[in-house]
Amino acid sequence: MPWYFYLALKQLFPSGRLSFITAIATIGIMLGVTLMLMVTSIMGGFGFQMGRMIIDTQGEIQISSPTPIDASRAAAIEKVLAAAPEVMASAPYLKGVVMLDHASQPAFPFIQGFEFERMKKVIPLNRYLLAGSLDDLDDDSVILSSILARTIGARIGDMVSIYSPLMLERMKRDDIMLPREVRVAGVFEVGHQQLDSSTVLCSLRLMQDLYGLDRQFHGYNVRLQPGADVAAVASRLNQALPPGVQAFTWLESNAEFQSIITFEQNMIFFLMAFIVLVATFSITISLLMAVLRKTREIGLLGAMGGGAREVALCFCVQGLFLGTVGTGLGLALGFTLLHYRDNIVHFVAKLTVGQETFVKFYQFSALPAHTVTKDVVFIIVFTLIASTLAGLIPAWRAARLKPVEALRSE
Amino acid sequence: MSESVLRASGLRKLYPSGDRTLEVLQGVELAVGAGESVSVRGESGSGKSTLLNILAGLDRPDAGELWWGSEAAHQLSLGELTARRGRFLGMVFQSYYLIPELDAAANVLMGARVVGRAGAAERDRTATLLQRVGLADRGHHLPSQLSGGERQRVAVARALMNHPAVILADEPTGNLDERTGDSIIDLLLGICAEEKAALVLVTHNPAHAKKTSRQLALKNGQMGHG
Repeated sequence: MPWYFYLALKQLFPSGRLSFITAIATIGIMLGVTLMLMVTSIMGGFGFQMGRMIIDTQGEIQISSPTPIDASRAAAIEKVLAAAPEVMASAPYLKGVVMLDHASQPAFPFIQGFEFERMKKVIPLNRYLLAGSLDDLDDDSVILSSILARTIGARIGDMVSIYSPLMLERMKRDDIMLPREVRVAGVFEVGHQQLDSSTVLCSLRLMQDLYGLDRQFHGYNVRLQPGADVAAVASRLNQALPPGVQAFTWLESNAEFQSIITFEQNMIFFLMAFIVLVATFSITISLLMAVLRKTREIGLLGAMGGGAREVALCFCVQGLFLGTVGTGLGLALGFTLLHYRDNIVHFVAKLTVGQETFVKFYQFSALPAHTVTKDVVFIIVFTLIASTLAGLIPAWRAARLKPVEALRSE
Repeated sequence: MSESVLRASGLRKLYPSGDRTLEVLQGVELAVGAGESVSVRGESGSGKSTLLNILAGLDRPDAGELWWGSEAAHQLSLGELTARRGRFLGMVFQSYYLIPELDAAANVLMGARVVGRAGAAERDRTATLLQRVGLADRGHHLPSQLSGGERQRVAVARALMNHPAVILADEPTGNLDERTGDSIIDLLLGICAEEKAALVLVTHNPAHAKKTSRQLALKNGQMGHG
């Protein structure tokens, strides 16, 4: 073992124990790493949950066309989908905007029509159903999103009126088309403000009636086998689909939303990095104090034949070691806290606002967390580099000391 | 006298002092043979420590030559001097300068570690040296658990670790009482003789100086007989 490494360890662990100042510096790094890991994991958890929710409501891939898809193009698309082994299920959809009215409470929600039997294999709507049953859904009923139902005061079994854009078209031709009276068969909530505030789900047949599209629809939602490479499958489908029909991954369909999530994560990472940087100052300060305290020892090492580079390495090694131990402890503490995050959140909620108020206000009872290996690697590399650089300043100062002057110092 | 292991010729050292320049060493001549012991006495500020630092290669003279055996040390860079110093000479200081985190044995072995040798042979030599300085049973004691005299014995053992040709001792008894100081000087002279290492002893104490084979004095920047 090189002498500077040996001496670095001896100085870090005098009498076999971590010195007090060293322990304080290590705790600083540990807390910085813990915070960085927790915040990025929880932010990642929200992003991951949002992504899962998007996939649950759209499938991994959406196939769409600028013009409605008729029976002949539908047959060609179905043939392509059937030939793709990664495709687990697909369901045609038709979407648009309608005016909804219940007890003189109007709303202008998005509406999506599905073939429910096929749609069940693509979108696990049962998971998000708050009230009612999918079995009660027919061509004369709809499922409302939770906030929309609350806004217009509609409950299960209530009748609501749907006004479609087709009515305006008919009016231009002096043709009167009455609003469609439908029954509320269910209420769903996915946890996404936009979807929960203004969405109506209905059968494909009802939607085709409302939009006057006989046996036509806008596209397909596609569910892939678990573990399939979404981008690669979309790319292969695009090569085989008929002209004018295109497959989009869920990331492409929600690019703006995803870019916001990524931006938020990067900003949080950037801000959290400063906490680790501040923590590394504790390494610099503790090692600078060591250099000042050991000035004559540094002179002695020079007098014994120790080079300036080796003296510097002795302090660099200490910075790297503190960074490594702090990072290891920080990751261990961070993963432990993440594991027990719900217990901690519920404990704090109980002490403060009460658990029920907390769940009602924040609309979640479990704190999401999703740790990405790439982020953990980045935290480790960033902290180790910062810690080593923190050790460089005292190391440089130690290396600059001339043995003859160091030995004379008081 | 045998062939010189340490030789200085025409050493000059200048220090700026305000708008004047102090010439601390004015052409110092010194030659020390193998196994020879030489004492250097002088008043405070006479340049004894400056001379010792130059002889150790820790400081550079403004003029003159320094020879470490057959090697022209004055032509080497400070980095080259550092690389050779650990093997060529050992130093003993007034304040011992032991590393507080290391026990006595580790402090002695540190002399070998710094020059890249810390194998079984060096561990054996550590044990031998500790026994020779009378601390065979104190090897695992930290410096804080040793008396001043014991610490200086450890420092002597450390200086001899790499079989140096020369030991430079800068007032090694300055922090010790008279009796302990005497024993340290006797130890230093005896062990240097056994190891055939030359000794340059800087001291204020005339009694200690008399114990060396040659007595010199530094006065007005020039070396003379003590």
